[in-house]
Amino acid sequence: MAEEAMFDFIHMEAVSYVFQGGEKISEDEAISKLEHMGFATGYRLVERLTRESGRYKDELDIMKYICKDLWVTVYKKQIDNLRTNHQGVYVLHDNRFRFLSHMAAGKQYLQYAPRYLAFTCGLVRGCLANLGVTCVVTAEVTQLPACKFQIQVQRG
Amino acid sequence: MTIYNLYLFDRDGQLLHYAEWTRNKQSGMTREEEAKLMYGMIFSIKSFVTKVSPIDLREGYLTYTTNKYRLNLYETPSRFKFILNTDVHAQGIKELLHQIYTQVYVEYVVCNPLCQLNKPIESELFAAKLDEVVKQSPAYASRPA
Repeated sequence: MAEEAMFDFIHMEAVSYVFQGGEKISEDEAISKLEHMGFATGYRLVERLTRESGRYKDELDIMKYICKDLWVTVYKKQIDNLRTNHQGVYVLHDNRFRFLSHMAAGKQYLQYAPRYLAFTCGLVRGCLANLGVTCVVTAEVTQLPACKFQIQVQRG
Repeated sequence: MTIYNLYLFDRDGQLLHYAEWTRNKQSGMTREEEAKLMYGMIFSIKSFVTKVSPIDLREGYLTYTTNKYRLNLYETPSRFKFILNTDVHAQGIKELLHQIYTQVYVEYVVCNPLCQLNKPIESELFAAKLDEVVKQSPAYASRPA
């Protein structure tokens, strides 16, 4: 589908654009710019996508929405595994993350992988923020193309 | 039916990837020299054929055959050249080369943000998938014919 390719290429260019500063911009600054972009996108996107559905019963329901509907709309697949400790920490496993699946199948390019996850972390954080859940989202990759997103809900 | 080796050139004649499956005789030159020789020959043959051909051709696919092997050239619309040496009896190579272009090159190089399009390909995934596609094709046999 042409639209899927469009999103992939725009994301690729956004990452390389943010990193093109060279020595003037540090890795962390660039990653947080991408995360911020994802946050703003997610914040508005979730408003658009959940127009029709009613309020969600609880936090776990919201997480399930993220894993199923949001991931299917954006990445054309569902999250493969959701774990929680029922105390505000959720871990989402994606065994074949869309942006990483064309890069490598193993350890090659591992050091560059976080750059391609930053936008998604922001996206998830933005969606949850607009649904009323304040949180911190981090991502981890040990072997491409699988990755884990960890959501830590801030309470109180 | 055997597949011997594959060269992939970009539009400026730079060798982006070389893979071999069966090669019993080396050419006695370094990889770069051999690549330049191959590219020069392909360029000359293409311009010769377009001038001398009695019919109009627009296919992007060209082969020449000697008694021992056949060289198949597939040129993409973006002027990338896939050259595959096979034995004389190989069939369906045009489809195989098209498959290599769409399912391996476009998927794993063009869509890979860390692969620059005018540099030699370093992605191991590309090499692995290329190997897989070639080995699965009916033209590949484990014993040279």
